[in-house]
Parts: sequence; C-alpha cells; structure tokens
Amino acid sequence: MRSMIDWIGAGVAIAVLASVPLLAGSNYLVVVLTVALCNAMWAASWDFMSGLTGRENFGHALFIGAGAYTAGFLNTALDLNPWWGLPSSAIVAVLFSLVIGIPTLRLRGPYFALAMLSGATVMQSLTIIFSEYTGGQDGLNGIFPILDSQTAYYYLTLAIAVATVASLKFIALSPWGTILRAIRGDEATCQAAGINVSFYKITALMISAAFAGLGGALYAHALLQVGPDLFAVILSINTIILVYIGGMGTIYGPAGAALLFSLLIEKLRFLSEYRLWVYTLILIFILFFLPKGLVAPAWVWLRERLSGRRRKRAEDAVA
Amino acid sequence: MKSKSYLTLALAGAAALGLAASARAEDKPIVIGVNTAIQLQVGRDAIDATKLAIDEINAKGGVIGRKLEMVVADEGEAAADGPKMGIAAVNKLTGEDHVNVLLGGYDSGVTLGELPHIIRAKTIFLGIGSASPAIQNKMKDDYDHYKYIFRVNPINSAKQAKGLVDFISGKLKGELGYQKISIIGENAKWVQDVVPALKKGAEDAGMTVPLAEFFDVQTADFSPLFAKVKDNGSQYLLIILSHAASDVFVKQWYDAKVPVPIGGIDVKGQDANFFDRVGGKSIAEVSTNFILRAPLTDKTVPFWDAFVKAYDRPPVYTAPGAYDAVYIYADAVRRAKSTDTDAVIKALEQTDFVGTRGRVVFDELHEVKDGPGFVNELFVQWQNDGKRVVVWPKDIATGKMISPPWLVQN
Amino acid sequence: MAQILVYGAVISAIYAMLAVGFTLIFGVARILNLAHGAFYALGAYGVYVLTAYGHLPLLAAAVVSVLFVAGFGAAMERVLVRPLRRSTLAVLMITLAVSLMVEQVLLLIFGSEARNVPSMVDATVAIAGVDISGQRVIALTGGIVILSGLWLFMQKTRLGAAILAVSQDAEGAQYMGIPSDRIFSIVMALSAGIAAAAGVLVAPFQTVIPGMGLLPLVKAFAIVIVGGLGSIPGSILGALLLGYTETIVAFNISIEWAQIVSVAAVLITLILRPAGFFGKRAAF
Repeated sequence: MRSMIDWIGAGVAIAVLASVPLLAGSNYLVVVLTVALCNAMWAASWDFMSGLTGRENFGHALFIGAGAYTAGFLNTALDLNPWWGLPSSAIVAVLFSLVIGIPTLRLRGPYFALAMLSGATVMQSLTIIFSEYTGGQDGLNGIFPILDSQTAYYYLTLAIAVATVASLKFIALSPWGTILRAIRGDEATCQAAGINVSFYKITALMISAAFAGLGGALYAHALLQVGPDLFAVILSINTIILVYIGGMGTIYGPAGAALLFSLLIEKLRFLSEYRLWVYTLILIFILFFLPKGLVAPAWVWLRERLSGRRRKRAEDAVA
Repeated sequence: MKSKSYLTLALAGAAALGLAASARAEDKPIVIGVNTAIQLQVGRDAIDATKLAIDEINAKGGVIGRKLEMVVADEGEAAADGPKMGIAAVNKLTGEDHVNVLLGGYDSGVTLGELPHIIRAKTIFLGIGSASPAIQNKMKDDYDHYKYIFRVNPINSAKQAKGLVDFISGKLKGELGYQKISIIGENAKWVQDVVPALKKGAEDAGMTVPLAEFFDVQTADFSPLFAKVKDNGSQYLLIILSHAASDVFVKQWYDAKVPVPIGGIDVKGQDANFFDRVGGKSIAEVSTNFILRAPLTDKTVPFWDAFVKAYDRPPVYTAPGAYDAVYIYADAVRRAKSTDTDAVIKALEQTDFVGTRGRVVFDELHEVKDGPGFVNELFVQWQNDGKRVVVWPKDIATGKMISPPWLVQN
Repeated sequence: MAQILVYGAVISAIYAMLAVGFTLIFGVARILNLAHGAFYALGAYGVYVLTAYGHLPLLAAAVVSVLFVAGFGAAMERVLVRPLRRSTLAVLMITLAVSLMVEQVLLLIFGSEARNVPSMVDATVAIAGVDISGQRVIALTGGIVILSGLWLFMQKTRLGAAILAVSQDAEGAQYMGIPSDRIFSIVMALSAGIAAAAGVLVAPFQTVIPGMGLLPLVKAFAIVIVGGLGSIPGSILGALLLGYTETIVAFNISIEWAQIVSVAAVLITLILRPAGFFGKRAAF
C-alpha cells in the first residue's frame, strides 16, 4: 500500500514536470527548470552521501565544478562532441573524489567538513590563477548545447535527473543503504562486525561525486558557460540548505526542495532588491519551525492522509 | 450580384481589421529591457539613467509615434551567482516580457554567458557596462549569428589598455621621465589579458617593469604588495582595479605613506564621491574615467545636472552609457521607421550620434569607436579638496599632475 | 624580513581574535556558530553607523558597537539556538541562516559599496624600521589586550571558572549549581563581542561590505580545526601559523598564492593530524 502511493506520487510529479514546456509560452521557465533539475541532482547526490552516512561534506562544489569544467573543456578546448561530456564529467568527478576522499577517510564531523571545503576552495583559486587554460574569472564560454532545442534538452535533463534520484533511492533502500546508515550510527561497531567501513565510505563519496559531476555537466550545457563560481563555498552551502529543507536522508526530498526553491527565487523577482531578503526569511522560518525539513515530511503527511482514506474505504466496503 | 457584395463586404471587413490592427500596433509601447545588477551602484544608475532618457523622449512624443517603456530584470551578483541569474533575467525579458531591445550588462563573465541566449531570442543587445573584447570579437567568426550585439559603453578593455600604454609612454616616461614602474591588477580575466600588453608597452618605451602581479578580488591586505613595490625602486605603480576594493587599497596606500604614486584603471575610483568616501585618501590617484561634470560634448553637463536633480547623486559610468544607448536606439528606430530587428540593426550600424561622452560611431565589430573626436578615455586625478583634473591626453588636459603630499614635489 | 614579522603579527592578532571566539562557543556549548562572521561584520558596520550618523567619537562608537553585537549574539542564542540545541545540524543551519540574513539586511540598508570608517589614529608609525599605519598597530595591541583579558578572566574570576566547568561537563556543572543555560548565553555574548571587536579594529583599513564576514568565518573555522576544536591555545597557535604563512607567501611569492597556500596548509594538517594540534583525540 505504501509503495503504491509512492509510485503514484512520483508519477504525478514527473508528469507535472514533463508538461511544463507544453504549457509555458517561452524558454524562460524551461531554462529555469533545467537549472533547477541540476540543483536537484546536486542535492540528491549530497543527501546520498552525507544524509546517509552523516559525514557532512562542505565541499560538494568540488565535484560539481569538476564535472562542469570537464564538459566545458572537452567541448571548447578539444572540440569534442558534447555528448562525450556527460560520462566524462562523472568519471572526472569520481577521480576527484578519490583524490580528496582517500586521505580524509578517517575524518569525521567538522574535520571532514573543513577538509572538503578546503579542497573546493583550492580548486577555485587554481581555476582563477591558471586563467589561460580555464578562462579565469570569466570561465569558459561558448559551450555547445547538446541538443539545439531548449525543450528537448529539458526532457533529456529531466530523464537523467529522474534516473539519478531513482537510482540513489534504490541504493539507499537496499542493504547497501542500511550499512551506510549503520556507519552513521556507530562506526566502531560496524568495523567490529566485520564490515569494511572504509570501502563503504569511499564508494558512497564516489557515487555522490559521480552524480554531482553529471549534474555539473548538464548545467554547463544548459547555461553554455562554466566559471569558478561553480567551486564556490556558497554553492556547497546552498546545496546543504536545500537538502536540509528537503529532509535529510530521503533523497527525493532534497530533489523536490531544489525544484521548489529554484522556482521560488525566480518567482520572487517582483520584489526586486528585497528578493533575497525575503528568500532568506523564508529559509529561517522553515529551518526554525520545521527541523525535519519541509518537502519529505509534507509528502509523508500527504501519504498518511491518502492511505488512511483508502484503508477506510476498504473497511467500509467490507462492512 | 450577391458574390460581388459579399466580396465588397469581405474587403471592407479586411480593411477595417487591417486599420484596427495597425492602430493597435502603433499604440503598443516599445519595450526596453534592462538586465543589470540591481543591487549594485552601476546597476541602479543604469536603471535610473534609462528612465531619465525614456521620460525625456516620451515627453517629446516618443519614437515613431510610440511611447517607450522599461522592464528591469536582476542579473544578481556575479561573484556569488555566476551568470545563471543573468541568463534567467535575459530569458525572462525576451521570453515573457517580449522586449524590443535589451540594454545592460556589467560583469563581462555574466554578459558572455548571456550572449547565446540573447542570440537565440534574436534580440538586439546594447552593452553599457561590460568591457571584455571577447563579447564583440565573436562577430569576427559569425556575423549573422552575433549581429545583434552592440557595445555602446565603455570602450573595451583592449582599447583602454592602449590608452594606458599611451599614458605610460607619453606621460610617465615622456613628461615625467620615469624609468621603473610596477603593474598590479586584480585577477579578472580581462586584466590578466591586459597586463602583459601593458608590460610590453612600457618596456617598448624604454622602461623596466620589475613587478607585474595579480591579486584576488577579495584581498583585504595590500601591505605585502606595497612593500615589494617600494623595495624594488619603482617610481610609479600602475593599478587595474574593477571589482576589487579600491577604497581599502587607497586607504592602505595613504596610511602607509607608500612613496610610489598610483594610477591606472580604478572603476570605483571613478565615483564622484570616492574622495569623500575614503576620507580624502585618494589624493593624487589617477584613474581613467568616461564622464565628468565637464563639457565633453554639449550634452554632458545637462545630462549630469538632470541626473543629479532627479536622483540626488552623481552618476557612475554606466549611467551616461545607458542614457546614450536609449537615445541611440530611438534614433535608429526613427531612421529604420520600424522596430523590426534586422532593419534596426542596419540603422544602428549607421549610427553617428553625439552623446554625453562623445561622438558614438560603431566599427565593424559593433564596438564604440575610440580616439580623437570619438569617445575617449580620460585620465583624471584627484587633487586637493576632491577636485578632479584631467591630466591626460594632453590636448584635453585641464591641469598639471601632482604628487602625493608626502613625496617631494617634482 | 622585519616587514614580514610586523605585518604578520597584525594579521595573526586579528585571526586569533576571530578564532578564539569561535572555539570558545564551541568548547563550551558545542555550537558551531556559522554566524560568527556576521558578528564581525556587524561590529564594523556598527562603528560605521555610530560615527557617520550618530556622530559619536570613535572610541565610544567602538565600545557601543561591541556591546550591541554581544547583546545580539546572546539574543540569537536565546531565541533561535537554544530551542534547537538537541540537533547540532539544526543549530548549524540556523546560525548559517542568521548570517545570510544579516548580510542581506546590511546590503539592503547600506548598499554594496564599501563604507568608510575613520582611523583612530592617522599617524604612521615606524616599528623596527617598518612603516606601518597607526591603526594596524592599534589592531595588534587591541588584539593582545583583549585576548590577555580573556585569559585572565577565565583563570581568575568565578565566572571564568564556571565557564571552564561547563565546557568540561555541562550536566555535571548543572548539578553543582551552575546555570549552564545562562553560561551558554554569556559565552555567546563574549564570543560575539570579541568577533565584533575584531571587526571594529580592522574596519578603518579593510573593506566594509555586507559580505565581509564570509572569508573570516572560513578562516576562523580552519584555524580552529587546525588548532584543535575547543582549545584556546590551539586557536592562537593556529592563528599565528595561518597569519604568518599568508604573509610569508604574499611577500615572497605573490598575494594570489597566499590564499591558496594557507588553505592547502589547512588541508594537509587535517590529513596528517586529524584532531588538530591540541584537539581531543577522537574527531567528534
């Protein structure tokens, strides 16, 4: 019963997202949502690692930027067909995760957070210093779109994002996910029980990086530009905020929050200079009053309502 | 008989509809979309100057019988958001607000990011703030694709660099006889491109350049830099600051009484209230400027005064750019007698307009032309009591260059 | 060489003030206060407002600003943090949200242009043959005075002893009659006040913009981790390390590389010695 409603809910969400280009008059909303889907992938991938294992990664932008710049490079510097960018970005992001992840395996809590943050910051500075190769502060421009039609590209991104969330959720619900959660609970006990904790920690990071990098590549081909802002601290922090609002550990919650809040910040344009202030106010509100987040608990509440009603109808039918 | 009367009726109906349609088209306002960073001074001034120009033009009857209207979209802060806010802004203006023309830009990275989206929407873009040559250079590869992009303001950074090289060889070497200068700039891409050219220009003029370095935009402490420049015996420090903290830079320079005068491109140093803002510590700093309350043309002072009267503050460089851009667009539409994009592009290319900063003519890359008679880069020095004196080019200089008060007068 | 010593000392003093405040509130209340940078910014803006609009003399403006921010910190702890204390992540997020909010409000009120705060002393001083602005010297001495004062306070007063007790075992201290909750507020006020003092001291010669708190926060975070979370001597040592590394690189290589080298140094320290210099052995 529970999983049936989940499936229906997912189906409805995807249907709504798929119908947007048909209802919208211009590219505006389609491009905004394409970017929002990339944000959703970043949030979901962060949640997978940090939400499950409890090791908060304050440098997620490292993987995002790595993926985005890879896609950009292959396209502008090497003139390769943009389709190559997608798998390559994931691979490069995974490589980065190994480089930073293996030395920092034994770190936890704020120590791990800071190490990851440092990694991303170093990358950002390097990108600016070596401007001849990376385009410096202005970044790489003139990236080719993968598909000429903005709408077609939106559907591609939607498909990949849905596949991402589904895969991550699948892994999270599997025995693998259980082990990751156990590691958050008590690492020492897991180790004592014979589980190779390091293996699980590093693979979780790799998976998280792969999808973040993929999202970065999709972002690069949507905006046709990459810049050092993709390694910035603020990007990592915004991703974490979205996950928190979505509901840590649920995977779909952060994705939903990313979509909602990307739309919200666009819709708030009518507030002109006050836009970000109102946005932050809303954030504080949610953070304070809804410590478990907004999106996932809202869905759980909705699900209870729906399943309760169905059960009642079934009971009435019998009686 | 019957078919004839039906035909007449149909023709009459069509004519009536046609008249109604064209009447409605004539009533429709011409919409100018402004994409800029609304939280920054450059953005606010661009918006206000656009509004000023629109109000003036509308008061005189509008353009080809239609009124001008403005819609603004925020590009966000480039440093924090990158180009994504700007891209969304451009998409909104073209897709939802259906603007006839786009006007704006400040951060070159954002503008470069917006270009493909502007072109996809086949909308004219009049740049008023970004300086990177890369924006217009794309015209070289593909005119048909990029023909929509024009730059009204400022003259691009490569040309600014050329002006700087003139200043170095003409003023610093030629008039003042300096032999050694150092060059520092923030690590924005256009600066990284320009500094090697400056170094070469100085060396070609017979000077030595012991230091040519970059620093991060967020640098808060310039003391190591000043110490190095002092130690290597430089007689002048050429600076290139755009987003970086000019205020702090000059204050630290003044407080440490660095025995090396400074000058160059300092975007924040162009502000009319810069001198007061830093408590007078920018004295003897030279910075390039594009607008002053001085009769560069006969429109300059009236514009300046009108802006100050309407908004209670002096304009920064994007304001005259935006003001001129609106007039230039209006002029082009009048000559093309329509707002049809291709017709207006042809008309814009023929522009020969005396604006507030000089005579505006576009070259084959749709860049505003520089040089004597056109739009010029002025080298302006802060002197006692916040007076601003043009010290270069020679033919429009209004006074002599002074040294910082703690240095021996030369 | 002398230049490096002198300028490095000034930077290290500022970093030390920021780091000590950060580690203090963590050591005592286990709060990773991401609003710490906001306190620093508020201190600077406070003195700006009071001198530019309130026309107060500089010293008075400085004191009032510090007191105001200390109060703000205590209020934040009481209203926003205390109800969420059970979850460290929730506290992290809410302090982060406060820092974002402060930045937005400052941007709305004051705009993005750098604000000018007059120096306390306009003269240039020569120390060991190095020309240095009087304000920087004041920042250095101010930092030393404040940190020494803090040390004396912690060691010699009853309140200081209470704070140390709470930092070792909050519950145990409660049983001994020490009101832990009130101590948390007091420590937050102290931490905020020291951060604000740092902001006040540097405002005349650093950029006063709404976003000025982000980079110092990241640096304080880094110093504190490297020095050992909750260890004040560790923070001071870490501050010296970071400050001097930056200065040495800036003078000898370039300012551009200074930032990157210090961040890389942090990373390497973490990899080699996860708990920092003096931190507790297990990482959390």
